Amino acid sequence: MAYVITEACIGTKNTACIGACPVDCIYDADDQFIINPEECIDCSMCMPQCPVEAIYPGDEVPEDQQGYVTKAAEFDYSTVAPGVELN
Amino acid sequence: MAEIKQRSLEEVKALSIEDAGEIIRQAGIVGAGGGGFPTYFKYKSPLPHLLVNATESEPGYWGDKLLHKEYLEEFLQLFDAMKTVFGFEQISMCVHKKDREWFADYAEHADENVFDMRYVPDTYALGEEKTLVKHATDTRVPRFLDTPDGMRRPGMPPDVGKLVNNTESLLNVYKALFLGKPLTTKFFTVYGEEVDTKVYEVPIGASVTEVLGIAGLDVENSGHLTILDGGPYLHDMVIEELGKGDAYVRRMTNSLFVIPEGSQGKEYASIETECPEEGVVSLVGEVSGVNIPLGGGLLKPATPLISEGDEVEYEQKIGEPVDEGFSVGVWASMDGEISSIENGIVAISGGAIPQEEAAAEAEPTMAGGAQPRGEAEPFQEAGSAG
Repeated sequence: MAYVITEACIGTKNTACIGACPVDCIYDADDQFIINPEECIDCSMCMPQCPVEAIYPGDEVPEDQQGYVTKAAEFDYSTVAPGVELN
Repeated sequence: MAEIKQRSLEEVKALSIEDAGEIIRQAGIVGAGGGGFPTYFKYKSPLPHLLVNATESEPGYWGDKLLHKEYLEEFLQLFDAMKTVFGFEQISMCVHKKDREWFADYAEHADENVFDMRYVPDTYALGEEKTLVKHATDTRVPRFLDTPDGMRRPGMPPDVGKLVNNTESLLNVYKALFLGKPLTTKFFTVYGEEVDTKVYEVPIGASVTEVLGIAGLDVENSGHLTILDGGPYLHDMVIEELGKGDAYVRRMTNSLFVIPEGSQGKEYASIETECPEEGVVSLVGEVSGVNIPLGGGLLKPATPLISEGDEVEYEQKIGEPVDEGFSVGVWASMDGEISSIENGIVAISGGAIPQEEAAAEAEPTMAGGAQPRGEAEPFQEAGSAG
């Protein structure tokens, strides 16, 4: 069950999660970063890095954030490169 | 203070938590899974449930599985003793579902009064503690939580009464409590390109190049090979071109992974290796020199008990832990002469790498700039917050 980045990322886009990800599965989806569920290995290393607590295990995403699960599942990852850590 | 000496099961069971913790601290035991977090600190406060992390997760590793095979009786005794000494209500052996057969001996010995078996999904890829707790128990470690002093920090297993410890760390606890032996060696897998898969027990501080030479690589003519300390996912790149520069075996080294220069570890995520038929091969007494860090990472340097020119014996204490912060005892991993003590590194006899390089290695960086792996970070925050 992949991890999911939710609404709090929008307007923040801190890149600490990208630095922690061992498989480079976090992509830049313009308004937010997004985890490719096909590549995520469920290691959880990104989750504590997020300063705005935007990252949830896939099966713990709050009801009002479920849209981000769908967004991650449907996003076209072939058009963007994995994100780059800046901070 | 409790002495580090040989003890029977009954004598170990008679130890207080404080004495057992002090033995673990003096013996120099830190998280062997990769975190390097001082093990004694984990056992300071009683927790109800110990999870034994036998889910060696980096593709291609064999070390922990072989240790469980070779030291079954020792682990069974240790579980028995730990229930008494540290007051665990429950001890669980956590293994991958794919390894069910490998751990059949443990399942046979499983006993509700001592320990049980937990089979976790094979997709659990990295051995991160919170993920293990989620898969092995019905408990979730909170993502974040507020501390009584108004801080907010990531949750960690002790927040839900779980203590997770790695296989090799626990074997080292056994050796300290039962055999009176301090930490002087590291078990790890050597594998990858141009080398047969092996599992070695290596003196801490041994030269990576020397170990790879023993493993059969032509180290003088292998500049096309890069050496990772770790596996395909999590690693430090320790030698970019084999033969140029060197590194030393750390207390957290779980593998020396050989890949072609210019390639990435994760390209090997689907690698499969054969279990080495000969089991664990010991290189104790087989290396020409060692560079042993007195501290590094989370650890404050121990106070050296020796001087340059001193002769030391294998398993002689060479560093006394300091009282401030996290610090553990340091012990000689080979017989020889102290050739230098510089930058927090003790070199014994023909230390294989220059001191400045050894010092630079003492605080390695993660591939991709990630944080130190494993259990170290959340516990560090807990320690500083408390």
